[in-house]
Amino acid sequence: MSEVTQNTYWKSLNELAQNKEYENFVEREFPENATELTDGVSRKGFLRVMGASIALAGFAACRRPVQKILPYSNQPEDIVPGIPLFYATAMPFQGSLTGLVVENHEGRPTKVEGNDLHPGSWGNTNAYHQATMLEMYDPDRSRTPLRNGEKASTSDFATFAQEYFADTNKRIAFISEANSSPSFTALKQNALSKFTNAKWVTYEPFGEDNAIEGNRIAFGSRLRTHYNYTNADVVVSLDDDFLAPTHPNNVEYAKQVTGRRKVTSTSDSMSRIYSIENGFTLTGSFADNRLRVKASEIEAFANALAAALSTRVNGLNAFRGINNQFTGSDFITALADDLASNAGKCAVSVGLDHSVYTHSVVTAINTSLNNTGSTVNYLQVPSFDNQNNSQAFADVVSEMKAGNFDAVVMIGTNPVYTTNTDLDFASALTNVEEVIHFGTYKDESSKSASWHVSRSHFLETWGDGYSFGGARSVIQPQIQPLHDSISEIEFLNTIISGELTSGYELVQNTFKGFYSGSRFENRWKDILHDGIDITDGYNRANVQLRSITPSQTSPIDGIEVVIRPDSSIYDGRFANLGWLQELPDPMTKITWDNVALMSPATAASIGVENEDLVSVAVNGKAISIAAWIQPGHADDSITLNVGYGREGIGRVADMGRENSQLLDPSENYGGVNVYPLHFSLFASGAISKSSGIYKIACVQDHHSLEGRDMYRQATLEKYKDTPMYASFAYVHKYDVPGMKEAAELGEDQPISLFDEQTYSADEPQWGMAIDLNSCFGCGVCVIACQSENNIPVIGKREVNRGREMHWIRNDRYYVGDENNPQAVHQPVPCMHCELAPCEQVCPVAATTHSDDGMNQMTYNRCIGTRYCANNCPFKVRRFNFFNYPKEYLTTGEDPDIIQMAMNPEVTVRFRGVMEKCTYCVQRVNRAKINTKIETGSPKPADGTVVTACQQACPADAIYFGDLTDESSTVAKMKRNERNYLMLEELNVRPRTSYIAKLTNPNPVLVDETNQEPAH
Amino acid sequence: MSMTKTQEIDTSELYGILAEFKNPKALIDVSKKVVEAGYDKFDTYAPFPIHGIDKAMNLPKSKLGWIVLGHGILGFSGAIAMMYYMSVIDYPLNISGKPFFNVPAWVPIIFELTVLLSAFGAVFGMFFLNGLPKLHNPLFNVERFKKATDDGFFVCIEAKDSKFQADLVRQLFEEAGATHIEEVYD
Amino acid sequence: MSKYEYVPEPALVKGNHDFASITRLVTDVNLRPTPKLWYLFMLIANALLGVFLLAVGYLIWEGTGIWGLMNPVGWGWAIINFVWWVGIGHAGTLISAILFLFRQDWRTAINRFAEAMTIFAVICALMFPGIHVGRIWVIYWVFPIPNQMAMWPNFNSPLLWDVFAVSTYFTVSLLFWYVGLVPDLATLRDKATDKIRKLAYGIGALGWTGSNRAWWNYEKAYMILAGLATPLVLSVHTIVSFDFAVSMIPGWHTTIFPPYFVAGAVFSGFAMVLTLMLICRKVYGMEDIMTNDHMEKMNIIILVTGSMVGFAYIMEFFIAWYSGVEYEKAIFMLRATGPYAWAYWIMMLCNVISPQVFWVKKLRRHVGFTFFISIVVNIGMWFERFVITVSSLANDYLPSSWDYFSPTIWDVLTYVGTFGIFFTLFLAFLRFLPMIAIAEIKAILPQADPHNYDENQEYHPHVVEVPKPKVDRV
Repeated sequence: MSEVTQNTYWKSLNELAQNKEYENFVEREFPENATELTDGVSRKGFLRVMGASIALAGFAACRRPVQKILPYSNQPEDIVPGIPLFYATAMPFQGSLTGLVVENHEGRPTKVEGNDLHPGSWGNTNAYHQATMLEMYDPDRSRTPLRNGEKASTSDFATFAQEYFADTNKRIAFISEANSSPSFTALKQNALSKFTNAKWVTYEPFGEDNAIEGNRIAFGSRLRTHYNYTNADVVVSLDDDFLAPTHPNNVEYAKQVTGRRKVTSTSDSMSRIYSIENGFTLTGSFADNRLRVKASEIEAFANALAAALSTRVNGLNAFRGINNQFTGSDFITALADDLASNAGKCAVSVGLDHSVYTHSVVTAINTSLNNTGSTVNYLQVPSFDNQNNSQAFADVVSEMKAGNFDAVVMIGTNPVYTTNTDLDFASALTNVEEVIHFGTYKDESSKSASWHVSRSHFLETWGDGYSFGGARSVIQPQIQPLHDSISEIEFLNTIISGELTSGYELVQNTFKGFYSGSRFENRWKDILHDGIDITDGYNRANVQLRSITPSQTSPIDGIEVVIRPDSSIYDGRFANLGWLQELPDPMTKITWDNVALMSPATAASIGVENEDLVSVAVNGKAISIAAWIQPGHADDSITLNVGYGREGIGRVADMGRENSQLLDPSENYGGVNVYPLHFSLFASGAISKSSGIYKIACVQDHHSLEGRDMYRQATLEKYKDTPMYASFAYVHKYDVPGMKEAAELGEDQPISLFDEQTYSADEPQWGMAIDLNSCFGCGVCVIACQSENNIPVIGKREVNRGREMHWIRNDRYYVGDENNPQAVHQPVPCMHCELAPCEQVCPVAATTHSDDGMNQMTYNRCIGTRYCANNCPFKVRRFNFFNYPKEYLTTGEDPDIIQMAMNPEVTVRFRGVMEKCTYCVQRVNRAKINTKIETGSPKPADGTVVTACQQACPADAIYFGDLTDESSTVAKMKRNERNYLMLEELNVRPRTSYIAKLTNPNPVLVDETNQEPAH
Repeated sequence: MSMTKTQEIDTSELYGILAEFKNPKALIDVSKKVVEAGYDKFDTYAPFPIHGIDKAMNLPKSKLGWIVLGHGILGFSGAIAMMYYMSVIDYPLNISGKPFFNVPAWVPIIFELTVLLSAFGAVFGMFFLNGLPKLHNPLFNVERFKKATDDGFFVCIEAKDSKFQADLVRQLFEEAGATHIEEVYD
Repeated sequence: MSKYEYVPEPALVKGNHDFASITRLVTDVNLRPTPKLWYLFMLIANALLGVFLLAVGYLIWEGTGIWGLMNPVGWGWAIINFVWWVGIGHAGTLISAILFLFRQDWRTAINRFAEAMTIFAVICALMFPGIHVGRIWVIYWVFPIPNQMAMWPNFNSPLLWDVFAVSTYFTVSLLFWYVGLVPDLATLRDKATDKIRKLAYGIGALGWTGSNRAWWNYEKAYMILAGLATPLVLSVHTIVSFDFAVSMIPGWHTTIFPPYFVAGAVFSGFAMVLTLMLICRKVYGMEDIMTNDHMEKMNIIILVTGSMVGFAYIMEFFIAWYSGVEYEKAIFMLRATGPYAWAYWIMMLCNVISPQVFWVKKLRRHVGFTFFISIVVNIGMWFERFVITVSSLANDYLPSSWDYFSPTIWDVLTYVGTFGIFFTLFLAFLRFLPMIAIAEIKAILPQADPHNYDENQEYHPHVVEVPKPKVDRV
């Protein structure tokens, strides 16, 4: 980001600061039109809501108010209409940052991408990062502060803070989300030193506090465990789903783990992953050896593992005596042997929410295996509080009840919703004089607050922070705040100083602290430009393992209820984002709702099918929720995801609830709130069938491959002795039909009735290869594509009718025994067949082939016979059954706003036309044009075209490029012997191919974790 | 009586003489006689086509077949020309990698257009040869002629015929056993 | 007496009819004052027509989404109904053309309204390609008309072949029908007493006089049309079957489709003709012309075509197994045992089992029973199209995209509505046009044959005794 644009940016922000007209404009333009909501039942009503989310994009237009009435009188430097600009920033989540680069069109952010330079991202993202774009444009975001429910302004709050916090003896409880920002941390210290009677507690419903405490027990200090899987030959996950976006560092970890499994020749090695878990997670589906145990047995397993290792490595003697159900099991023995023989090159991790003790055991195991420094590092994190926060939080609440606090300040958290009802946080608030809530939404907590202050989206404000691994970045705004809102540092600063200092100053001051004098200016510019401050980060601690006294809590006997954050909407904070709500869960493929996951055996034992309502009870509290059978789930274990069943948050989150009594059960919306049951990760509970069903919108009805060959895999050993294991000939024991005859004619493609068109090598010939050995099924490609290609959200009812619009979908199949299957993931975009069956059946030639080998849709020629979709063997074509974009985007307001929200480089499709993956043709053509201008060559160099899905993928599973360029990565991948075509025998000649999967199971355990190749 | 009639000729011109016969066989027989007598401007009328009357009337072979053939050829070549122009010359598109000149795929449309044009030829050719539509016809002035579409069998020799002589014609019809004879005026 | 005794053909027209009485019998229906009952039926038909217009109106307003369609089932009731109606629309032209070429004189009793039924059925069928597309307002893009995009249709697409085939079929059937009507319109013109009818029929008759010079060309034209219509009628359902056969979906991609579809079309067409004939001849007292002998002959055709269809069903299974294509095998197993098995077995029962009863002569000649079967057959044929269209799409190559199709109320209303179109037109036809080809019937009366007269022009028909059907002959 160059100096000049900064200046213009600043100038306009100042303008905006006094722009009263603008503030009125906000009020007038966005009335709380609840009337639209009463129609929650109707798809249209709902979609109009989605549309409203786009309304705010219009505010990008106000970035320079003059734009509203005039063309550029003097065009700002760097802004060429139609040419996007990319600025670095970073997204804070769960107390760590991920570096991002944001695409801006005429000063309007439209697309989030990873930052290549950032170690928390390495250029990739997860679904949450992609979806924050929609969060910023969410119409239901809090737009103004509230004083006792009345509209107020941020300046009102400043005045209030000035008076109220003048008395430094006020007894204040600060309840904050985890935040790595140095500025924030500094302000926290100021606050605590200024207000002598203040208490500070960090509260996250799914935080890493237990992990930190575990390290304190093991090492005596609160440290963060940071793995480096790049060096890990053996990875053991004890119910730790570090590949899922719910893990604060999943992008980096995914990058590292999949990086160790890139196999290009039979001489390559790859890591081995063990997963021990109760639910079926992404990590579990990616593991080579998976063992399903109850969540409450994980501790026992850790003990048993430590015991088994104690005879093999030093430092675990304390565990010798341990004897439990796992002791001596084949799995433990094999695992222990494997770990011992890979000491120093292995990594054991346990789920963040597991007990402090379990974490300490795992730390002990890693230390005894000499992994410290190679695969595991322990980081000193300045932003950590020096206390057991879960304990501290409980204390604070009881003190609140006792009336020991004058004020409670909730920063970015929503305890009223995310704490279990026993804690009775809401009523605790009633004993407090001033309850101040600072958040993105007017949520449950803000409703019981005397002050609600609107939080700016991170794309709107200045900030800073550290990545999970400790890389420091600056959060750089992409646009002015759309509403009367401030960032958390501005907020905290206001409380302390009573003044509205701009985040820019605060952040700069922090960094002036890091870089004195003249050094600051250049560093600052670099940091902004690169989005990363490479010179500094967290310090690694030199750790000494203390002796740990083994403890054995017996696992839950009977039904255990496990509460987890949701793969789509996390702890509920993303509940109002249509993209994420409609993103199928990676394992269950369910959209829009949460369910009670259970094993087939458990389901049979209580006699329920999918969608049957069950009552799940813990400590006398019961909820009614739809049952869902999850093959591979541990028996007698029920997994529930939180975040649903919101009320009055946003039109997406609680869609249709207000008049759900008008609906038959099959049309329920919004999901079920399971927080009332949330005590810890797991609790003993009961489940019983109740009457009625709850219709679930699941995008995949059939889970078996039916013995078909679209997914091909083998073990590493098998690959080494039969490298061609994925070839059609090997799989079917005969050659592709028509190939023999072709060979006689000296042709390399199966014979055909026609003499086909050929594709010249003077043009680039685009192709894609998808590495099934890297893909672990997270689904970020789906959201990235949705964001890039203006794909509408269509709502639960339409998904239920089987009309999902995603251009790339992620097929998930179960292989093997129903109770303990292997799960495989296969992303399916358009195959861009050279002999595309969709094209010849279109009566009006609306889909045809381009010279660079892409299967193209001509939207405005399409009349919508749907014949092409019928004739597509891969079923990747999507039809606009209704006017989805209109319903998705209509705001009833300024029509320009619709255009503002969309990616201006992609057509918005009309009702009645077919659409599908285009290989991001807009990116391809941008690259072709640039190359033409720069080098005059018609062929962009390898790597200049990156499709949205490829760009987002943290596993680098997607390769895209020019096939005529022998040296291009994709060409190389396609030459690999593991490369195969889906449905090759149809001779449609897909341009998209797959690299067959490899597994590396422990030979001793092969039978237990049925690794039979899928076909 | 014939005299009185001839005086009326001044007012309206004689079209021909119409005779009714009792059945198809009679009609065939009289047609033969009329032909023998050398009349050529005559026609016979029946509610349905009578088997063998064409020979009796000594009708030439119908030219309709040639008309249909012409149309058929037009439809066939027209179809090929249209498709060749549209998908090879004017706007060739790469569709499923198929060649632009994709003969097998064109067969159905070529066939259909050939049949369509031939059918037009057959129907409109027939109307043309029969001089239809012809909403005015002197015979319609004869009330009795309505039976021609019900159960009447008629013969009419036109006055235009070179050999036409009212009395001879009447005589011929009477001999042939006409059940009713009358002049037709236009 | 030889083993094979000569059984003369039974008389085609029962009762002692002469030309005049035939004329009266047929034309009275059109000339006498409209019966009350007709208004009642017309009212019902119009109500159904209203339903159709409503359903289509809503469709155009809201979008294709009001139907049950989805991924992967992109074609549902609309296409099923299209194929079903087109199939029904095969009987007419078949009867008038093919039976004409084979000199099957009995056709004359039924060809007129069989042709009418054909045309109306094809009109119903044509509704669906028109409305099932996503953007109904640009449907004309399927015709090679110069347009602002300078684009032409894609002649490789079976759907485009359909456009040409069905519209050609409709045009030719219409001409064929009209040519047949001309002499009868002349008859009506001459029978009519009131001005309007005289004028209307007069214009329709084009001034037809019954001139034998005209008959001469007329017969030639009729012969040629029959010759053209015969391959055409076979080609139409062949091309309709290409919509499926030319695609690459398991269960669609089958070479057996063309003959099997044509047989099915004849099958359902004859059933529909029977349904209508049995009602009409009762209501209008036409038993003398549309006799039980006609009914029996048609039942035999139903039996034959039904067996052909049944053979095709079994053959499909054999080929699926014989081909060794796993997807092909799977789809056929799924049809018989999978989520749509119920539809499959309804189809089997109605199309294959039910017509077999016509091996029994007694049942072939039993009016009520025939009527029942004729309806069963058309139900069965609807389900055949359902099984082919939906079950194949719902379970194709990738199991991940398998899904279950269920229709909405709008699918149903649109289908029911087309009966409104059909019966509105058909009732109008019965009222205003001769439902029997008068001239042709007269031509097959013994009195029409000159050979039945002696040289004194006296009528001496050779007596034909109708053999009584022997009960033991089964």
